[in-house]
Amino acid sequence: MADKPIKVILRTYEVGFGDCFLLTFKYAVGEKHILIDFGSTGLPEGTPKDQMQRVAKDIALRSKNQLDIVVASHRHKDHISGFATDNAPKTKGKGKAAIVESSTGDIIGSCNPKIIIQPWTEDPDLAPDAKSAPLPASAGAAGAGEGKALSAVNLSFTQSLRNMNMVSEAIGKEVSHLADPGRFHKTLDSKTVSRLDFLADNNGVKNPSAVENLNHKMSGKRLYVNYGYPLDPDLGEILPGVKVRVLGPPNVDQYSDIEKERSSDREEFWMLYAATAEMRKELLDSTIGKDKKKEDDLLFPGANEYQRTMPDHSRWFVRRLRNMRADQLFQIVRILDDAMNNTSVILMFEVGKQKLLFPGDAQIENWEYALKVAPDCQDNINLLKDTTLYKVGHHGSRNATPKKLWNTFDKATEDKSADRLRTVVSTMAGKHGSPDRQTEVPRQTLVDALTSSSDYYSTQDLEEKRGLYHDIEIDL
Amino acid sequence: MPELHPRTRKLTIIAQDPSVKAPVERKETEENAQNAPKAKAEQKERILTTQLEIPAEDLMPGPRGYRVIVIDYDTSTGTLYMPIEYRGLDDEGQYEDPFLERLQEEDGDKILLDDPSFHCQNVYAIVMKTLARFEFALGRRVGWGFEGHQIHIAPHAFADANAFYSENDRALCFGYFPSNEKALKGETIFTCLSHDVVAHETTHALLDGLRQRFTDPSSPDQAGFHEGFADVVALLSIFSLKDVMEALLPLVERVADERSRAKLLKTGEVKEVAGKAEGKKEETQKIREFVHAEVKAKKEKKIWITKKSLTSENLRASILFGMAEQMGEGLSGKRGSALRRSVDLMEREDRRNLYEKDPEFQEPHRRGELIVAAIMNSFLEVWEKRLAPYLEDRDENANIDVNLIIDEGASAAEHLLTMVIRALDFTPPTDLSFGDFLSALLTADSVVVPDDSKYGYRKILLNNFKELGIKPSSNPKTTGTWEMVDKEVCYDRTHFESLLHDSNEVFRFIWDNRKALEIDEDAYTEVQSLRPSMRIAPDGFVLRETIAVYVQMITLRAIEVENMNIAVPSSMPDDQEVTLFGGGTLIFDEYGRLKYHIRNKLYNEKQSKRLKYLWIMGYIGNQAYRENVFARMHLQKTLGVPARREEQF
Repeated sequence: MADKPIKVILRTYEVGFGDCFLLTFKYAVGEKHILIDFGSTGLPEGTPKDQMQRVAKDIALRSKNQLDIVVASHRHKDHISGFATDNAPKTKGKGKAAIVESSTGDIIGSCNPKIIIQPWTEDPDLAPDAKSAPLPASAGAAGAGEGKALSAVNLSFTQSLRNMNMVSEAIGKEVSHLADPGRFHKTLDSKTVSRLDFLADNNGVKNPSAVENLNHKMSGKRLYVNYGYPLDPDLGEILPGVKVRVLGPPNVDQYSDIEKERSSDREEFWMLYAATAEMRKELLDSTIGKDKKKEDDLLFPGANEYQRTMPDHSRWFVRRLRNMRADQLFQIVRILDDAMNNTSVILMFEVGKQKLLFPGDAQIENWEYALKVAPDCQDNINLLKDTTLYKVGHHGSRNATPKKLWNTFDKATEDKSADRLRTVVSTMAGKHGSPDRQTEVPRQTLVDALTSSSDYYSTQDLEEKRGLYHDIEIDL
Repeated sequence: MPELHPRTRKLTIIAQDPSVKAPVERKETEENAQNAPKAKAEQKERILTTQLEIPAEDLMPGPRGYRVIVIDYDTSTGTLYMPIEYRGLDDEGQYEDPFLERLQEEDGDKILLDDPSFHCQNVYAIVMKTLARFEFALGRRVGWGFEGHQIHIAPHAFADANAFYSENDRALCFGYFPSNEKALKGETIFTCLSHDVVAHETTHALLDGLRQRFTDPSSPDQAGFHEGFADVVALLSIFSLKDVMEALLPLVERVADERSRAKLLKTGEVKEVAGKAEGKKEETQKIREFVHAEVKAKKEKKIWITKKSLTSENLRASILFGMAEQMGEGLSGKRGSALRRSVDLMEREDRRNLYEKDPEFQEPHRRGELIVAAIMNSFLEVWEKRLAPYLEDRDENANIDVNLIIDEGASAAEHLLTMVIRALDFTPPTDLSFGDFLSALLTADSVVVPDDSKYGYRKILLNNFKELGIKPSSNPKTTGTWEMVDKEVCYDRTHFESLLHDSNEVFRFIWDNRKALEIDEDAYTEVQSLRPSMRIAPDGFVLRETIAVYVQMITLRAIEVENMNIAVPSSMPDDQEVTLFGGGTLIFDEYGRLKYHIRNKLYNEKQSKRLKYLWIMGYIGNQAYRENVFARMHLQKTLGVPARREEQF
């Protein structure tokens, strides 16, 4: 095999609100395939129900059942649900004529990835129980890179993330309770419920099957990376002529003391919040749920309460309170969403003059390290200036293409030159946020900037054409 | 013969929060003081409670009264608790305090924690008391920050470590959560049982009623003011409770003993080599550790405290730090540390630079701590000064009656509380700065008490604010008070009587005098409120003033704003629409003459800073920030969610 690729092909799949990219480097002889994320939280109306299966099969077909690298940028469902192995379609037919289909996760697994890249926060060695115990120097080396042990602050951080997952799950439960007519027939409006459900679902479900597949089941060497993690030793032979850099996420050790202090405040907050969430779940169970009438577990055992009707004077306020609570949960779940997005692996692929940037859903807090804090931040800025292809962060939300980053791209110009920046976004409108709050995804002002200053491609085009994927080919 | 209805009633509340306990035996006699060690061993501790005197009324179950409606609905479990009945007048013509007797029972503490209707009463009484304090200070009825007269209170609104005022829901919402503290593991913390939390949230609602535009995003000062002011009201409310003072005072003597003991060992104890400052720091640290240990240890009662112990330094170490330590568990832990941080500010060498230069103090909550620090330190100084006459000509070791010290401390707190509330009437209605508040504070007091020489409240306050780098907006080198109106204004076409009651008449006055008052003629102008204010002056006569507040607003494109000599952020597009606010407070004296015109002009120098702040924070053209201002602020306080709007599309 020649030692330099001659072409790069980016296949963007239609997964609705989610990400799935197959990046292929074509050499004089043979190809190398990198799957970057595979997840969805909702498909456009009219999309075949088995769309994720079709995508998985196409990945297997395109890669000839050989994936070289799998990247799972972060734990959100819209980035990893396709790695789950518990979603196999029901067997059709009986006996010999039966058609047994594999789950999407098994199809990907059957492509025997050699390397699986995930953020350092996903390292299973950072077990929840290991929280407060400082890790011995010999342990956890894979997560920190270069044999460096993970310190207690990093462990605490991952514990906070796990607490956040728990909080999200509890929120999911509370939302369904608020949406239930319940005893007093005052429900939330359906729009609020679906907004909340969407975020709680994306954050809360731990995606156990997908996580298990990524961390244990699939073949391949696992790399849990942070800013500056040296990928060369593992990728050098697999991807000759391509340099891959990790620009994020930083781990807590890489931050200043102030940030560490804040981080410990936040950890405390999430610990308390998770405990409160747990309390809510228990209270809900004992008040209206499965353990109804478990008197001792009630907040006020023996207290008198209204059963089916409430006094007239309280009705207006009770309805307001329920809506206020929904808003409050929404605020929390948005914070959770941002925090998880910021664990995204940011990868830059350099090949020839091409610089391809895949930032997952990273927002400014993740980017800030590479752009402002890291000792070599100026080198990063110089590198980013020449970006030729940018996978738009977080489906085009307003937070995930920080202006500081966008303004760095020299090739983002209104002149339609040959080497103008290409941008690709995988998204679906109407799923997330709302225009009157300036939170719609994709954010119109961002789409305007992308359209006017880059060769912009959105999976919304596939939605109209009912296509499965779109290829961008770049000759090197 | 019909009898007069009682004007007030007493209801039992938890004095600070359930973690603050006191020995059951309340009153100490000289006899058992001698047997102290024995008595101490037998002493049992109970949650410290007190009776609050609040306006009386025939309460409906809830309690539901003329200004406050408690509805005990829990959104996290969907439970609506049934309230207790409050009986009407008893045979002696008084209202009962339904929990008073039950508290004497063996499991009194359990009743306080386990009966939701006590929680309802606790929160009701503190809200009513806070309202009454505002009405007393301002000499009139005071409204909430929303249409309507009654505020809703949800004492167990949700299972979360949060409590807030919600204007949209006309409500104060209090959460509950499991304790993280080892000592209280498994216990539930109820925010509605924290006196300072309830008073703090009530203050937000009242301040919002007096100055609606103070919740607008405007500057770090305005954002920090709501928090700082609410903390000041909450803390002074607690320090004006004699039961709380009584529980804290024994610390004064012990702190003083500890200090003198340390001084005896001086030679090796504080190293002078390291410089004075460090020595002081070390000493403070030692005292603090001592207070910490003392608070944790069993408390005792005292009836005398020696004269030499009564310095503001000892009062600070015992009362303020003691309070912070008391708040050291559960939810109050956070609040305790805020109090500790505020008091610490006065000991920082860079204290004069924090307000202007330290980026940390641009954040609203930290900025608010500057106000808390200035006022709480003033409180201690005033207290010491009030005690001075009793200490004159007394021996250093003379015993001073604890009740006297408590009375003077509670009076100092009460007086300062009245002063800070009165100051609100003398603030401009928009874009408040800390300097504006200081000038308002000094002016409001000087109107009622022209002679400040007795205790020197104003001088002390002015010094303490200056120590933190905050100068009054007016007359910074002298009194710091607002300038009186010295321009000719025309009263000929308005009527005195009408001016006191009718906002249309006030508007006519403003319009007729727009030149003299330098009011922009093109902006939309509205009289927002017209209120009487009555106070009793030291000569015993009623001082009546009338306070009218007008607001002006105009929406312009960025380029037009620039033409008015206001700097516009460079990244703001020329055609971006922005709304400028201005306005003033007009204070008419008892003859209907305009005495003060306290205002921010529409096109003033603050607008450049304000626009920059709003633009960076993403507030321009975005209405979302108006929703749940306080709920969001409280969340951000804990999480420190950074404002990164400038990075967003």
